[in-house]
Amino acid sequence: MASPRTYDAIIIGGGHNGLVTAAYLARAGKKVVVLEKRPRVGGAAVTEEIFPGFKFTMFSYVVSLLRPEIIRDLDLPRHGLHVLPLESTVTPMENGDYFAAWGDHDETRRELYRHSPRDAEAYDEYGRLMHFMAQAVKPILAMVPPDPTSFDPRDLFALLRLGKHFRGLGAERLHALMKLMTMSSADFLDEWFETDVLKATKSASGIIGTFLGPRSPGTAYVLLHHYMGELDGVFRAWGFAKGGTGAVSESIASAARGFGAEIRCDAPVARVLVKGGRATGVALENGDEIAGKVVVSGLDPRRSFLDLIEEKDLPGDFVADIKRFKFRGSSGKVNLALDALPSFTCMPGIGRQHRGAFSISPSLEYVERAYDDAKYGEFSRRPYMDIVFPSMIDPGMAPPGKHVMSIFVQYAPYNLNGGWTDAKREAFGDAVVNTVEGFAPGFKSRILHRQVITPLDIERITGLSEGNIFQGELALHQLFFMRPAAGWAKFRTPVRAYYQCGAGTHPGGGIMGASGRLAALAILGDGV
Amino acid sequence: MSAANRWDAIVVGADVNGLVAAQYLARAGRRVLVVGDADARVDIGWVPPPITRELKLDVEVIGLAQADPWIVAPLDGGGRLELWRDIAKSVEAIRRVSPADAGKWAEFSTRMRRLAGVLEALYVEAAPDIETREIGELLHLARVGLHVRRLGKQTMIDLLRILPMSIAELLDDWFENDALKGLLGAVGVWHLRQGPRAAGTAFNFLHHHVGSRTGVFRPPRSRLTQTLAARPGVELRRGVATIVATGGRATGVRLGNEEIAAPLVVSSADPRTTFEHLEPQLDAEFVRAVGNIKRRSIVARGTVQLERPVDFTTLCVAPSLDHLERAHDDAKYGRISAGPYVEAVATDGRLDLHVQYAPTADQALAERVAETLGVSAGQVRLEPQAGHLYHGELTLDQILFMRPVPGWSRYRTPIEGLYLCGPGTHPGGGIAGAAGRNAARVILKET
Repeated sequence: MASPRTYDAIIIGGGHNGLVTAAYLARAGKKVVVLEKRPRVGGAAVTEEIFPGFKFTMFSYVVSLLRPEIIRDLDLPRHGLHVLPLESTVTPMENGDYFAAWGDHDETRRELYRHSPRDAEAYDEYGRLMHFMAQAVKPILAMVPPDPTSFDPRDLFALLRLGKHFRGLGAERLHALMKLMTMSSADFLDEWFETDVLKATKSASGIIGTFLGPRSPGTAYVLLHHYMGELDGVFRAWGFAKGGTGAVSESIASAARGFGAEIRCDAPVARVLVKGGRATGVALENGDEIAGKVVVSGLDPRRSFLDLIEEKDLPGDFVADIKRFKFRGSSGKVNLALDALPSFTCMPGIGRQHRGAFSISPSLEYVERAYDDAKYGEFSRRPYMDIVFPSMIDPGMAPPGKHVMSIFVQYAPYNLNGGWTDAKREAFGDAVVNTVEGFAPGFKSRILHRQVITPLDIERITGLSEGNIFQGELALHQLFFMRPAAGWAKFRTPVRAYYQCGAGTHPGGGIMGASGRLAALAILGDGV
Repeated sequence: MSAANRWDAIVVGADVNGLVAAQYLARAGRRVLVVGDADARVDIGWVPPPITRELKLDVEVIGLAQADPWIVAPLDGGGRLELWRDIAKSVEAIRRVSPADAGKWAEFSTRMRRLAGVLEALYVEAAPDIETREIGELLHLARVGLHVRRLGKQTMIDLLRILPMSIAELLDDWFENDALKGLLGAVGVWHLRQGPRAAGTAFNFLHHHVGSRTGVFRPPRSRLTQTLAARPGVELRRGVATIVATGGRATGVRLGNEEIAAPLVVSSADPRTTFEHLEPQLDAEFVRAVGNIKRRSIVARGTVQLERPVDFTTLCVAPSLDHLERAHDDAKYGRISAGPYVEAVATDGRLDLHVQYAPTADQALAERVAETLGVSAGQVRLEPQAGHLYHGELTLDQILFMRPVPGWSRYRTPIEGLYLCGPGTHPGGGIAGAAGRNAARVILKET
């Protein structure tokens, strides 16, 4: 009989997926402990007061993908989750004009009409198609991927059901889905629109977190991935969590605690204990050993299998698969404390535009060139940026009258020529600030403090390999039944009683929590 | 006898697929007229064995012996990398540039050959129709699935993993030497306006491996077009024909001032060209889909008149994957590559050129090519761009049941009596005659 100190499940890593797994397991009556190496939970979804009075969502920045069933099942609003909508996106153009998408659909159409009547006409049809496609793909997010290489009748049956689901879409939509899965976002958008700045801004959401440009095939899928954001049932409504994305993590942690889970911070795990091909617990870096019936890793595949497990405990071809799993972090973050909000040339003054996002994606060529730099190992001299002012939406983020500005930046390759140094980090920060200055003259003089985060910093602080915010690229050959490795996409691992629940498993990253939930269901299904 | 029933079928286009389709129709007793200009050049790509068998062609006559070494690539520090038909000989050659890569050559070659075999099975039939509810078609689908499963778990995983990959990722998984990766990666971008880092280029690489022996990564070459053009049984007329249709039904073709009637018209021309004059009779969705076919031509073809013999059969100048990627960067913004990828094949006292990326061809490019090959600029003759050689890029969204446009992959068109049989249809360019044969088989079943 297990000793009373044995846990039913030990979760390694208190990122949002680990917390979701913990909450679901605890909700089912299991005795659960979460071990987080940092002083606070959240992983890459944390809010920290970096400069006195100024709070930042350090790495991630918007919330849109968190699965609604998780919000419901865990009753997150009761635990403090409050999502405020980000209503608009304004793209300043090089010629001083702008393109704006507003919360009000008719207003967006009028704005688009100003650029191209034809595109304004196509916009609704496009929106309907994407909405439908997102609906069609949604069931996949909530399913354990079947293994097409297996002869297990359950897999064959699941594959058949999946085939039936897709055939049920009808020919036209099935074709659109095939295109979305394989095309570049630029090519896909070219089929619909002619306005370059519209295509640039839309395609930008197809490159987030990837090491690809808008003309790279495979990015149309990421476009759809981001379209699946669902807040209160409204698609593509990006939101901002009150208190930053850290508040999302805190609310999940609070729900988990409410169900009886134990959460230990400052508890870095050194390795998983394996006896006879079976995980029996973990050893902490301080030497303590904790026994558990199952061990669940919320870390990325490289950490989960190459760092925490000894190679001899894993099959050789599995190790080879994990070794070639691609991370290639490509994004950085610049967090600024501001004395006052910047005024953009294209839309002077301070107004409602500051309650939404500014997208620095003036043309397709601009974004593509930003990628070219990264391809050859340099950070983009003129990067793509997604800018939000969290203090405009949640005044608690900055002292009265002051503001915080969050700039998501791409591209900043993890493998920079010559490697990242302090000087390179500052040069990267300068490139970001100078580019913004070009669209908002005088902005630089408003900066009180600046924090620049490179992919290397992301890796050092959060442990995410190569600083990839999705725990591995969302490339076609790393999705679904191949995430993280063919034959091991069902949250189980070659080590018995050792599970994975991070974004490195199906369906992938973006503060969605889906991996964490599916993993918990798989673990419970195995009768733990 | 009235002119109206002189022909059972007219094939528009005297290229390899048009001629193959015509032969199959004639073999079934149809009276066939082919209108078009036969290309005197050699055909690049696999001739599926069913064609040589069924049309009783002499393999020895149409097939060109594959050169040995099949590729020669100059090395940066002088010397050259030569790859041979014989695996062991290639391993020796690779060992001189990278012992690690040499150790992987045999395994890599075997794995790629197995995958190309899967494509070969798919290419000699019409594309699987995944929307079908017909029992025969479902059985066909099941057969394809079973075929793949029989190859074993490793091949299945390879197939699922590699097809959507980029050729750069695939080669980086296996090899370290730039010259080796460059000469292999070059095939991955053939006729694509994409660089080696683009997803789907691994598929394009395998597509062009179809029909080759293990360890040879350049498609076979043949004289199928010339052989068929000289074959009796089909009447051949020169010229450019336009298709005539009324009320959504094909009635024949117009050749100059002459109108030639036939109840069946088969076009091996580019789908866009084929439908250009027929738009008023087509629905808007179909017209839009055809208009969206990506067929951005980025290859300059041409010849070099040789003054003295060269010491290679196929020379590939693509020193690294980065070289290819940078060549592509220029094309992305509409420019000719400053450092193009150049491949030259020696045939009959001249070199046939494949130069990529060249959205247009100009004198400066000819000079660059001359410099690369060490010949005088006067010897280089680049042809003006004449559309996309494959009538549509072989990207993942334009293959199988998505080719030429989704929903119309079975050679039939919305115009009754009009069929397609060119490289714009499944299985696409770089395969000699498969589309023509597949189309003819569908036509014979349906008409």
